[in-house]
Amino acid sequence: MRTLVAHITAFFRKRELDRDLDQELAVHLDLAIEDNIRRGLSPEDARREALVRFGGVEAAKEHHRDARGLPWLDSLLQDVRYALRTLRRDAAFTTVALLILALGIGANTAVFSLGNVFLFRPLPVKDADRLTVVAVQRKADSDPDQVSYPDYLDYRAHSSAIFTGMTGYDISIVGLGYRGHADRLIMSYVPSNFFSMLGIRPALGRLINPGEGDAPKTGPVVVLGHSYWEKRFGGDPNVIGRTASLDGTAVTVIGVVPKEFLGPYNLVEMDGYAPIGMLGFGSNPDFFTSRADHEMRVLATLKPGVSIPRAQAALNVIGQRLAQEYPHADQGQRVRVFSEPKARPEPAAADAKFLVASVFLLMVGLVLVVACLNVANLLLARAAAREKEFAIRAAIGAGRGRLLRQLLTESMLLALAGGVGGAILGNSVGYLLNGLRPLGDLPLRLAFVFDWRVFTYVAGTALLAGILAGLAPALRVSRTDLNPALREGGRGLIGESGRHWLRNGLVIAQVAGSLILLVAAGLFTRSLTRAESIDLGFDPHNVLNVSLDPGLQGYTQPRAEALCRELLRRTQALPGVQSASLAFSIPLGYYDNGAPVYAEAQAPSPSHQVPGASLNAVSPDYFTTLRIRILEGRAFTDADTATSGPVAIVNQTMAERLWPHQDAVGQRFSYKAAAGPFVTVVGVVHDAKVTSLLDAPGMYFYLPQTQDYHSTHVLQVRTAVPPESLAPAVEGLLRQLDPNLPVYEVMSMDKSLQGANGFFLFKVGASFAGTLGVLGLLLAVVGVYGVVSYSASRRRHELGIRMALGARRVTIFRLVIRQAVLLVGFGIALGLVAALGVSRLLASLLVDVSASDPVTFVGVSAMLMAAALLACFIPAHRAARVEPMAALRDQ
Amino acid sequence: MANQKLDLLQGTLDVMVLQTLHAIGPLHGYGIARRIEQISGNQVLLNQGTIYASLVRLQQRGWIAAEWGASDNNRKAKFYSITRNGRKQLAADAAHWHRLADVMGRMLAMSPGGETR
Repeated sequence: MRTLVAHITAFFRKRELDRDLDQELAVHLDLAIEDNIRRGLSPEDARREALVRFGGVEAAKEHHRDARGLPWLDSLLQDVRYALRTLRRDAAFTTVALLILALGIGANTAVFSLGNVFLFRPLPVKDADRLTVVAVQRKADSDPDQVSYPDYLDYRAHSSAIFTGMTGYDISIVGLGYRGHADRLIMSYVPSNFFSMLGIRPALGRLINPGEGDAPKTGPVVVLGHSYWEKRFGGDPNVIGRTASLDGTAVTVIGVVPKEFLGPYNLVEMDGYAPIGMLGFGSNPDFFTSRADHEMRVLATLKPGVSIPRAQAALNVIGQRLAQEYPHADQGQRVRVFSEPKARPEPAAADAKFLVASVFLLMVGLVLVVACLNVANLLLARAAAREKEFAIRAAIGAGRGRLLRQLLTESMLLALAGGVGGAILGNSVGYLLNGLRPLGDLPLRLAFVFDWRVFTYVAGTALLAGILAGLAPALRVSRTDLNPALREGGRGLIGESGRHWLRNGLVIAQVAGSLILLVAAGLFTRSLTRAESIDLGFDPHNVLNVSLDPGLQGYTQPRAEALCRELLRRTQALPGVQSASLAFSIPLGYYDNGAPVYAEAQAPSPSHQVPGASLNAVSPDYFTTLRIRILEGRAFTDADTATSGPVAIVNQTMAERLWPHQDAVGQRFSYKAAAGPFVTVVGVVHDAKVTSLLDAPGMYFYLPQTQDYHSTHVLQVRTAVPPESLAPAVEGLLRQLDPNLPVYEVMSMDKSLQGANGFFLFKVGASFAGTLGVLGLLLAVVGVYGVVSYSASRRRHELGIRMALGARRVTIFRLVIRQAVLLVGFGIALGLVAALGVSRLLASLLVDVSASDPVTFVGVSAMLMAAALLACFIPAHRAARVEPMAALRDQ
Repeated sequence: MANQKLDLLQGTLDVMVLQTLHAIGPLHGYGIARRIEQISGNQVLLNQGTIYASLVRLQQRGWIAAEWGASDNNRKAKFYSITRNGRKQLAADAAHWHRLADVMGRMLAMSPGGETR
């Protein structure tokens, strides 16, 4: 320890210590000379004898320095300084290499940051490492989903042996009115133990007290999300204690959560939190009692030492008991427990997410490898040009290790600088993503943080890149016999014909890697095209959507209905409008409504769970507007009113499942309880893809809005003109009707299909893969260009002789191109074989496209070949224009 | 090979320097080198320069101390002296060398018949 300190001190006091040593050595020699003279030698002999006995003054100094200081650090600093100097001198090379590395590392950083959000980074809550998500699969093969409130209470009551606490939240979109202005908020309704279990302390005011608002229709308070508080109230602390209106109910603002707590849900930041009891005022009073109504997202903290499998086993027991007690709702249901990060953003993603993550990490990993190969090739070309320099350095005594270290230092420096660039690039991708709005007006909010995980990953990637890119060229150079290089006056050995294999191999590997990336990009793009051409069962083109929620402004049902009738009447009268209708939700939107269904006179057998269906409440012209075909019976009419007999229209799937081989029209079912009340089926419509783009359509039914009122409305307008052009007119109508009514999500149906349940994921996947593919293509082109133009310039002499002997320019041109075609051809062949293997991994992520889709494979191969040939055109052209005499004189 | 030779020499030289300072008292570098040559009967052909690497190493380990002073002919020279830790180290090294020399002596005294002469 003490010795180490001495070494470090010595390292920094170099100049002073050297002066001391000089003086000491001078005295030594003087004393020796004096001794020798005393022994009778002449002054010259005395001096020579003294020097001989001393043996190399400079060597002694060098030994002294090595012994006292940190020789490795000295030479490292020397290497770094030298590397910086050479890199600066070769600015073009450095820029290109840096750019390539920054792109490669940046792509990796971006994907890893995303992975960090979805896979690793713990929530900023208490005992995050023991936090779990409890979800249920309604059937053995269905996705894990939310839990019904009564089930949640039972699980919570009986699981104290494995969990220290269990809580949950129900996400809902609500209106919060304050001083005459209403906002749409994304709100979590939570049991009163929510904040205490997660260990959240208020940033301002207080949070929900124990027991506050756990009973239905109690707890009229609201806690604000930090961002919403800043955005809406300008961070005003005086808002605490004020009264606001939550979906028409007066509530008191009691506090604000801390800035770092974005809420328990991974994709959006919560705007607010209210006690679960407040749901009692909402449109779904069954929430507290129905076991078929799955709304609660359940969080639980494991007791220390309890493993997930043990918790799973204990929950299974509770689940079985519930199934026996409540066969109608809970039979066949399977409870699952996941570590919280695994269940992001939805428990349904737990199983598929790792596949997606590994596919994407693999792809960016490949980009990095291709980038490194590219830089390796550039370094190699550069090393060939610097051969003389290395030979001289070796001749004056630099060891092989020292040369190797010098070259690796250069590539490391490049990689580290590339890493810094990559980190910046990768992080900005995160912020770009945060602007996307797959949930209508609600912005995506991913908690991107440059934490130690991302830092470690970037640093590791950069180091790896440095070694990967630098090692082969460095080994190559340090191994070369340098004597001939000196003798031959400039025309070196590295890259001499017969020794091309390393560079050629690198290019082939690069082309192969790029081809794999391009294949993946092609498959994802084709997948998107296919998805977009799926028959949706409704016609999304030329439809304008406008959302409104009169409840936000305190409209009672009769007033809201009057407003909507008038709105429809005036909209239909607008020029360019073909038809207009109202609905509770839109197809493939981000919210939906579901209910259990009981067919009349079909007592559900005790062993069977009550089937669930999705539903929508619509106005009479809905099917005309969306062009959903009516197969039997009729659409709703104005005669279906609140007082007329309750009616419903079902989709084909529901008709076939509930009444197989029967006429569904005229049958009755209930979506409340086995004993009714019942609604009569008046029509059957075509199965439209309204809930999921890819899954087979489930049971779906429609109710007249007059018989199933919700305050949330979407006005849908079928237009004869581009739909967006009618937006101002429709908004103007609404302003005439009520200037204070907030209008939101004004967009065409086509555009809203780009949302989370529509094409969003395909788009993201395709553009991500596409970006990587373009990157791969670019790198391949740069690589091929580099190696071909380099080798053409090395062959100038040879080509000059050929031309002097009568070769025509076309022949020379062909010669150079042929080399490129061979390289790229090998690369493509190799890449095709590898891509066939890799693409199988992608199969489950593709829609309607085979993982070995010949169109993609042939298409991208041709594209790559064409791009590479284009890149070779310049060096080939240049080679063919060589003046033979000039080329020969050069040598 | 070259490294092994250097190591052996290095270790040996360090002990010689410590012993010299222990026996004679404070000396400058030239004095130490001369004394080692004399004691060894000029059998150690020492590159006198190498002694300075040894001196800085011993100093950094805290086994010797250095001080500027005046030499016999009144020149300013750096004088080295052994420290308490240095004496401890010397005792340990000396014991090691004695044992090694003893063992080597007995090994080399072994006759072809296997008996000790």
